[in-house]
Amino acid sequence: MHRYPRWPIHLALLAISVVMLVPFYWVLKTSVTGENIFSYPPSLIPRAPHPFYYVDVWYYIPFARYFLNSVAVSALTVAANVALNAMAGYALTRDFAGKRVVLMLFLSCMMVPFQATIIPAYLITGRLGLLDSYLGLALPQCSTIVCIFVFKASFEAVPSALADAARIDGLSDWGIIWRIMLPLSKAAVATNVILSFIWSWNNFLWPLIVTRSADMQTLPLGLARFLSYQEDTTGALYAFCIMVLAPGILLFLLAQKEFIEGLAAGATKG
Amino acid sequence: MNQGMIHAPPDRPRWRRLLLNRFVLVPGALALVVALWNVYVGLHDHGLVAGRVADAAGRPVADATVVLWVLDFTTYVEKSRTTTGPDGRFVIHDNPSHNIQIGAEKTGVGRSTRIPVRLYFRAEDVTLRAPLVLSGGG
Repeated sequence: MHRYPRWPIHLALLAISVVMLVPFYWVLKTSVTGENIFSYPPSLIPRAPHPFYYVDVWYYIPFARYFLNSVAVSALTVAANVALNAMAGYALTRDFAGKRVVLMLFLSCMMVPFQATIIPAYLITGRLGLLDSYLGLALPQCSTIVCIFVFKASFEAVPSALADAARIDGLSDWGIIWRIMLPLSKAAVATNVILSFIWSWNNFLWPLIVTRSADMQTLPLGLARFLSYQEDTTGALYAFCIMVLAPGILLFLLAQKEFIEGLAAGATKG
Repeated sequence: MNQGMIHAPPDRPRWRRLLLNRFVLVPGALALVVALWNVYVGLHDHGLVAGRVADAAGRPVADATVVLWVLDFTTYVEKSRTTTGPDGRFVIHDNPSHNIQIGAEKTGVGRSTRIPVRLYFRAEDVTLRAPLVLSGGG
């Protein structure tokens, strides 16, 4: 039983949702009408919608190639994030000398923007011979501190008796991570997957620097290239935006329940 | 913690738990749609553009010249031309594009406007519903 009626809250949330969704709707509408954003009076309902701007985008640039590159880099990033962050998060749940220093170091490193470390990151990637490769594109994002703390919070919530029992039964720390902790932390895994995917999918600066051939470019670079090619193509540009956004939105919709639970756990139990 | 865990009924086989969930079904359905679309494209991408040419009175025009223009990134360039048969019908066999224009003309009968035709994929086989109408030939 609620002491107060809930409908005013729902009404307010609905209004806020509409305000936040209007830009997305506008992009979607423009992608099927090509209507100039400055046209007056603006029309809320699309007039004579058609899908041909999407066809234009598919053929104007090598969209399939860029899409494949983005998928490959994102898959590498997601796999590395889940594996490496889980190991780091588990380590931070254990007691060891200098743990507080490591935690402080992680927290302080979160304040350093990527732009400040991009030159050493480029030099390291170059020394490893990974420039212009999928692994080189994924490398700087293979572990993120926020996601490490999401795993740490989730692992700390697992009763220590479970890990102790597994250890008594002869399971190693590796086994405890993969067989005990991860299956019990699906929300944290989903959060890692979604965050690392979206960050990798939308990354522009690092692929811009590390790619040298057109064949290795990712979708955000393709968008920039598309803008430089086409001047008068509002509809195709918005269609491209939709095509770039769609996989991330789909992934979020698929795993939003686990994602929100994982973020909430990371926010309250860290 | 663990609110996100899904506890499957014990009688549910492991393969069903692994396969019958939204993380498999949704991408699988999308992959199926893409596969079917590609099959459709493969069966309908012969570059055929068919249509009719008529005069202002609606009578078929034989021996009219039909020209195909394709979009060359920013401008339309002529790709090929053909002539209509006795019934005013024509077929162009080598359209490589998804964004084309079609026009027709015949000396003494007139010229049609260029009709823009947007296709769902390159070289899609298409039959124009409305005839190209020649006019202004004096």
